[in-house]
Amino acid sequence: MSKSRLIKLGLIILVFALVPAILVGFDKGYYYQIATIAAIFMLLAASLHLVTGVAGLLHLGHAALYGVGAYVAAILGAEYGIGFTIGVPLAGLSAAAIAFLVALPTMRLMSIYFAVATLGIGQMLFLIFQNWVGLTKGPNGVMLFSGLNLFGFEIDTDLGIYYVVASIVALSILVLNRLSHSYYGNALRSLREDDQCASAMGINVTVMKIQAFVISSFFAGIAGALWAYTTGYISPNDFQFSQSILILTMVVVGGLGSLPGALIGALLLIILPEMLRSVGDIRNIIVGVMMFGAILFLPKGLFGEVSALNFARRMLGQGWAAKKGEKGIGWK
Amino acid sequence: MTAILELDGLTRTFGGLRAVDNVTTQVNQGELFGLIGPNGAGKTTLFNLISGFTPPSSGEVRFKGERITGLSAHKIAHKGMSRTFQNLRVFPNMTVFDNISVGALGMIGVGPFSSLWGGKARAREISERSWEMLEKVGLADHADDLAANLSYGKRKYLEIARALAMKPDLLILDEPAAGMNDSETTELAEFITDLNKSGLTVMLVEHDMGLVMGICERLVVLASGQKIADDVPKVVRQDPGVLEAYLGGDD
Repeated sequence: MSKSRLIKLGLIILVFALVPAILVGFDKGYYYQIATIAAIFMLLAASLHLVTGVAGLLHLGHAALYGVGAYVAAILGAEYGIGFTIGVPLAGLSAAAIAFLVALPTMRLMSIYFAVATLGIGQMLFLIFQNWVGLTKGPNGVMLFSGLNLFGFEIDTDLGIYYVVASIVALSILVLNRLSHSYYGNALRSLREDDQCASAMGINVTVMKIQAFVISSFFAGIAGALWAYTTGYISPNDFQFSQSILILTMVVVGGLGSLPGALIGALLLIILPEMLRSVGDIRNIIVGVMMFGAILFLPKGLFGEVSALNFARRMLGQGWAAKKGEKGIGWK
Repeated sequence: MTAILELDGLTRTFGGLRAVDNVTTQVNQGELFGLIGPNGAGKTTLFNLISGFTPPSSGEVRFKGERITGLSAHKIAHKGMSRTFQNLRVFPNMTVFDNISVGALGMIGVGPFSSLWGGKARAREISERSWEMLEKVGLADHADDLAANLSYGKRKYLEIARALAMKPDLLILDEPAAGMNDSETTELAEFITDLNKSGLTVMLVEHDMGLVMGICERLVVLASGQKIADDVPKVVRQDPGVLEAYLGGDD
């Protein structure tokens, strides 16, 4: 068996056998919860990675689009009885649609102005979640009691829910992985590096930026729906600016432009605070210091872009330069 | 001879300054054409007008007989015009191979869906074309290096290779010899001549006379935004107006 197959098999075993085995071993609802939240935030970090890490657009409102997905799923479920199977894709599409509307006027803005625009949009959506009581129930939040019903099968065990969430997240990350490591990813990277130069290469810069933003928001919406269904209750506070910053921190600590980095960053920033629960509130300071240290000593991230691309292309066999002198193709 | 690029009364003003002033000329199919002029003569502005980075105030640009004035840069690129930049703009945090692939993929086209499903043929084409260009400029051994880590001269060739990966009909090089020593310039001159001999129309924008005089078949000289000469190098060299512009200028 080739090295790339072994690694892929290892990842599958880890996510779908090893982690569930550990969860069953401990058999505490609390651990299932952490595993699910970690998976959701891995998807959030992976989707922000596409916009901020690969396409180089500093996006400060990711949590708001995540919120759009969560609210769409929760309201559809609670008010209209639309279940998980349809609710999740609808949540993704709604977030993507809003992102598209937002992207049209903002994509022509230059770097820092774009960041401020996304900050504003994030705040705007947050205020809608909080104040449009008729639609979102305002600060009280929305309860979603419908449970998780997948194609008519009621998923009511913790393990079952973990499997559903892990499968959806894994599939989404697989898509994001292809996007960021294929030639499409190269096109997005060229925007980050020098968008004027990219346009001289025949790349429609505005269209590509909108695509990246919309795709990323679609997956943020999916993550939001998973959040709504797994927690059963959402409130505006889950989608505050600080959440956007948390997701951004995951991407930066892991390594800007690196998909495995974003995943590791998400895992770390979700699991670490939980592991340190025993030391009390000082844990937040410890996490902060570790983040500070990570950026100071590993400015390229825990798993930087160069090593991430090497990993994806060499180890996972997604490359075009498999061996020196050997002409690989873009995507196997 | 058929013209591939025609400029007709091209003018661009910035406030009161006429950076490019009523320039009319043409570049013929298969030609190695030079555009020279002292610093501040308006060469780069003229170049930006042609490639769609700056819209002209008046006048017209025709490429392969088609009016391209006012089209955006990426559309002009798709018509078959490819350019490099004066101040060397490679993608520093991408590998050499990835840099070149951007030139190829811009033309061949990639989308989010084709990278998920059914884009294999296109991906293969991008790969093959990128390797071809890498070998052409002798950078195949550096395929995996970050562009930022290449030497200055190699980055120049990388930029040209990336432009060539677009398989253009017209290649415009903006001061390719800037910052190169004499032997590097000679080597580059040979490379450009070979490109031209293989059938590619090349337009060279330079402020250093040496390279251009040596290899170009025809020259246009620009001074203060105006065309002051348009002829073969031998004639241009002796043109009193050109001599004055160069000796009287800051060059």
